[in-house]
Amino acid sequence: MDQVVFESVSKVFRHRPALFNWVGRERTGETLALHDVSFSVANAEVVALLGPNGSGKTTTLKLISTMLLPDAGSVRAGGFDARHDPSMVRRQVGIAVATERSFFPRLSSRENLEFFAALDEVPRGERHGRIEEVLRETGLEEQADTLVMKFSSGMYQRLGLARALVKRPRVLLLDEPTRSLDAAATAQSWATIGALARQNATIFLATHNFAEAAAVANRVLLLHRGKLLTDRVIADGESAEKLRALYFRLTGEPVVGEAQEADLIHRAGAVT
Amino acid sequence: MNSTLDKLYAILRRDVLTAIRHRSGFVVTLVGVFTELTAFYYLSRAIGPGFRPDGVAYFPFLLVGTGLYTFFVMSAQAFLSAVQDAQQTGTLEVLMTTSTAPAEIIILSAISAFAGSLTNLLVYIFAGVAVFRAAIHPNYLSCLVVLLLSLVVALAVGIFAATVQIMFQKGAALLWLLGSGLWLLSGATFPLHSLPQPLGILARAIPFAYAIEGMRGALLDGKSMGAMGPTVLPLAMFGLVLLPIALAGLSLSLRRARQSGTLSFY
Repeated sequence: MDQVVFESVSKVFRHRPALFNWVGRERTGETLALHDVSFSVANAEVVALLGPNGSGKTTTLKLISTMLLPDAGSVRAGGFDARHDPSMVRRQVGIAVATERSFFPRLSSRENLEFFAALDEVPRGERHGRIEEVLRETGLEEQADTLVMKFSSGMYQRLGLARALVKRPRVLLLDEPTRSLDAAATAQSWATIGALARQNATIFLATHNFAEAAAVANRVLLLHRGKLLTDRVIADGESAEKLRALYFRLTGEPVVGEAQEADLIHRAGAVT
Repeated sequence: MNSTLDKLYAILRRDVLTAIRHRSGFVVTLVGVFTELTAFYYLSRAIGPGFRPDGVAYFPFLLVGTGLYTFFVMSAQAFLSAVQDAQQTGTLEVLMTTSTAPAEIIILSAISAFAGSLTNLLVYIFAGVAVFRAAIHPNYLSCLVVLLLSLVVALAVGIFAATVQIMFQKGAALLWLLGSGLWLLSGATFPLHSLPQPLGILARAIPFAYAIEGMRGALLDGKSMGAMGPTVLPLAMFGLVLLPIALAGLSLSLRRARQSGTLSFY
């Protein structure tokens, strides 16, 4: 069964001019975030959303989660229309956002999870067990009773994933889930994503990390300036380098190879 | 129903834990209450016992007027802060992706915010009576009815402030209006019949004036429900009209923000 369906979806952000725009230089006009995008994703698929900054990856996730509504076309998740049945969609979808501060800073990670579990209508009897489980899965057991205002950005990232997992969503949306994680935590997150897919969850992964896409996804959607350039299966054992080559060939972005990327990082380090 | 109570408990728990972990917050609030009451006590003594607005001593008149008006302003402010903080920290967007309807989250948050303001009002009145010996003759049923209707009006005002914040990112403008123009017309510190006639008529279009007048009648004069009709009925009408309008406005503003992508703008 298709869990997420986009049919000719377009999304435009309008920049309304300020009252006294002659004082400053605020941008006016429109930004086309998504243009006529269609795809469908079935149970247990792990989809990597690739694309440069501003290509429409986060907008795609926000549309599935009902944070945004489409201007044209339709978005369906878990069999429900995001415009007409948003509450039913939200019951099926969990989102782990990259925003580090989207928690209540003076609550511990356990208290934050208890709060969101209540709003996600996780049955009271199951809440404690599920929270312990996701704390273990995300490696936050030792920080369970630490106020999150004392967390590092990597811990916030793990807690974001834990929050999305507590309600056991059928569709899981991950926005750069390993951006601030160390190598061990990244491997743990990839293992968690793999395990969820085996349990039939549909997973969207917005990322700039080709190695991550190659390691955990079995399909790639490549977006560029709001348009879907390609929708293809990632073959077993397909390398990150092959995905990187595809990305640069289709987007027309200036090519940066792995060696060049490492060299640029090295030089930046030398300058600072 | 169980699920809604469960969510309300979660929100109350979050707010209580956050408040008590701001260690100095309670002390500052208590000091503020006693400083204000002391100022009003000596102001009423300076004016003298001859000044008896609406037939009651000036200190209890001020106690009820400023206490209730502060309750309205604090409720709106606490509610608005909850929405603004959630926008600034990024929690608002995440809250809007939970299984709970956005309007339900905002209303439950409002109830939680009011619990704090209501506690503050009760402490204020209790301190005024116990420490500063304000004379009261309460009719408890009338007090309860006026308080409940005041809560409905405060809920509507809080939701209006949240709506203005979500739609125009300018919820503070409503607070400014509450703190200035409406304060003048509420009768919090002087009787409304002292105002010139046009302002007096304008004051009658403001629900706070009825709430304050009603609470003075119920708490200071011991008026029965039968005698409170001219105050309670308009207050009830305001609640019946304002609350559905506020809820419809909130629903519209949330939908617009999700369409335009401005939910987290502040």
